[in-house]
Amino acid sequence: MYRYDTFDRRFVSERVEHYRAQTQRYLAGELAEDEFLQLRLRNGLYVQRLAPMLRVAVPYGTLSSDQLRTLAHIARDFDRGYGHLSTRQNVQYNWPELAEVPDILQALAEVDMHAIQTSGNCIRNVTTDEFAGVAADETIDPRPYCELMRQWSTAHPEFDWLPRKFKIAVSGAATDRAATLVHDIGLKVYRDNQGAVQFDFSVGGGLGRTPVIAETIRTGLDIEHLLTYLEAIMRVYNRYGRRDNKYKARIKILVRAMGATSFREQVDAEWAHLKDGPSTLTDEEIARMESHFVPPAYHEHTEDLSALGAQRLSSPEFGRWVAQNVSAHKQTGYAVVTLSTKVAGIPPGDVTDLQMEAVADWADRFGFGEIRISHEQNFVLPDVPIASLWELWQEAQAQELAESNVGLLGNIICCPGGDYCSLANAKSIPVAEAIQREIADADYLHDLGPIDLNISGCMNACGHHHVGNIGILGVDKKGQEFYQISLGGHSGHSGLDASLGQIVGPSCSRADVTSVIGKILDVFVEQRQPEEAFIHCFKRIGIEPFKERIYASAD
Amino acid sequence: MRLLTEATEWSDETAEPMLEQGSDSMVMQPLSEWVPESGNGLALEVDDEPTSQFCQAPLITINFPVFTDGRGLSLAVLLRTRYDFTGELRAVGDVHQDLLHYMRRCGFDSYVLPEHRQLPAADNRQPFSPYTDYYQASVIQPEPAFRRVPRGA
Ligand code: SF4
Repeated sequence: MYRYDTFDRRFVSERVEHYRAQTQRYLAGELAEDEFLQLRLRNGLYVQRLAPMLRVAVPYGTLSSDQLRTLAHIARDFDRGYGHLSTRQNVQYNWPELAEVPDILQALAEVDMHAIQTSGNCIRNVTTDEFAGVAADETIDPRPYCELMRQWSTAHPEFDWLPRKFKIAVSGAATDRAATLVHDIGLKVYRDNQGAVQFDFSVGGGLGRTPVIAETIRTGLDIEHLLTYLEAIMRVYNRYGRRDNKYKARIKILVRAMGATSFREQVDAEWAHLKDGPSTLTDEEIARMESHFVPPAYHEHTEDLSALGAQRLSSPEFGRWVAQNVSAHKQTGYAVVTLSTKVAGIPPGDVTDLQMEAVADWADRFGFGEIRISHEQNFVLPDVPIASLWELWQEAQAQELAESNVGLLGNIICCPGGDYCSLANAKSIPVAEAIQREIADADYLHDLGPIDLNISGCMNACGHHHVGNIGILGVDKKGQEFYQISLGGHSGHSGLDASLGQIVGPSCSRADVTSVIGKILDVFVEQRQPEEAFIHCFKRIGIEPFKERIYASAD
Repeated sequence: MRLLTEATEWSDETAEPMLEQGSDSMVMQPLSEWVPESGNGLALEVDDEPTSQFCQAPLITINFPVFTDGRGLSLAVLLRTRYDFTGELRAVGDVHQDLLHYMRRCGFDSYVLPEHRQLPAADNRQPFSPYTDYYQASVIQPEPAFRRVPRGA
């Protein structure tokens, strides 16, 4: 993973002191509320319904065991003993004191972490595949290029005051686990026939109140042009993106208003001036970044899986966990393990200080000290020897991190919603919990096969409900919490193109959500062909049978 | 209102900004009225489109309607890098003291700070350069760090 040098350390510590001085001026009454707001947002601090919320950047979802231990300390010393894994691979604290935030940032800086640009109308943390560098289906590890973009976007003089927030996602694998096509910029990175690194650029994707799949505006861009081409896009957006209406300020609205073709022409015209300029990447800089992400010193392991087979036979529960939560690794003898945080009764993505420390220890004992955070709000251990799976599983059970529900209905993606978020129309965590409790039978869940269920508490779509096979959106109906259900969304993994869900019909009350989900599953079970996944079944039979069942009694 | 200027060339990134109080007497005209040969200053809004004629203005002001409006930053960069404007470039309107360093890096070299905004009492130069160095290129430092600074140590 990337290790800071003195340049990075100096910048991040100067940023802490800069923000500390700004906080002091605010507390002394020298900075107005709405002015300080803009500064604190760019340092990760929101003010939520109940308290401030601090969002810590986990660049492209990769962190070291020592960094995770520091996150555990912060949870204990500055918060209420837990943190939250967000859908953008970051870590959030729900109860920090505004005056203590500079101290938290300093603690982060000591382990080469920060909260810079994790909120506000600026370029946010670049996200990627949580299996980057280890996935069997990967063509190239996207993280060196994510780090190039992290450095380029940090305190950019021209692009820190955009019309709206700006999110970039990168994928380097056959399966797009980063949902790149629902981002402001989605990048696909690969090698051409000669082995040169190239990028495809898609722009204007996004969720929120106007969900859009991004349009591809350039293919085969050589790596040295990565930053200059990004600058061209950013400049067109910064100058012409709408600023009069925050709901129309995302780049997707500009791309749609201009049309993808003329947007691309504008970008190309701008790029003609920037191309081959000083921001063109040098071979040395590219090589430097790539050198931070060389594979670790893997040990030779046998390909013999007989021991694992015997363990799976001896414990069906372990077998299920291996089937759902363990993924193929590039390296023989190793596996990628997802530690699910989705346990009924615990808000999806919430993890305690002790769990964080346990995960950090496992990363050291069963890997090379590296951890990932997935956009599904789980921990990933990227380099676990297959021979250690049994031991890890047993320890993970003791920490309630061994739920074998990855890819299944129980692995609900859920935003903080009305319990924490001041923008919410409705609560989301209790809905997730009710569904998890109602549909708890492990055999049934496994029989249902892969289903993505996503919940957002409002149109901002932090729970990515549009791309859930089943999506649930909190809406406000005359001051009451209601839920709109959509079906058939897909974020673009497992060989399908990304698609947006269709709304089934009128929204329902919280009390009815689980029974509506139950009806949807009943229709699926009745109509399903052998082994057919929910999303394929939906694409085959369409929305009508579901509509009929859900609203049958209402006629 | 206080006028803050840099006594040095905008292109000299090592120079410490010098703060001056006061105002000056140049006649300023909006783009719709401005004549290139007039010798008058040009008062731009953030959404005006730059042209090479602007080079003839001795002074250009860019009016920030709100301090969070980043269009003025892109306009400044274009004036300095694409149209080679070498005159004085001044930020006016809702200028915020905590954004001066962005403005400076985008090519501004003078700023009119509204009366209700103050530079921090402790160190009034700090808002212009709170960081020793930056990752990316800027108007005052056209080379990004990876071309200038040995990295990795
Ligand atoms: S989707 Fe809405 S309710 Fe949920 S976290 Fe985002 S803004 Fe808050």
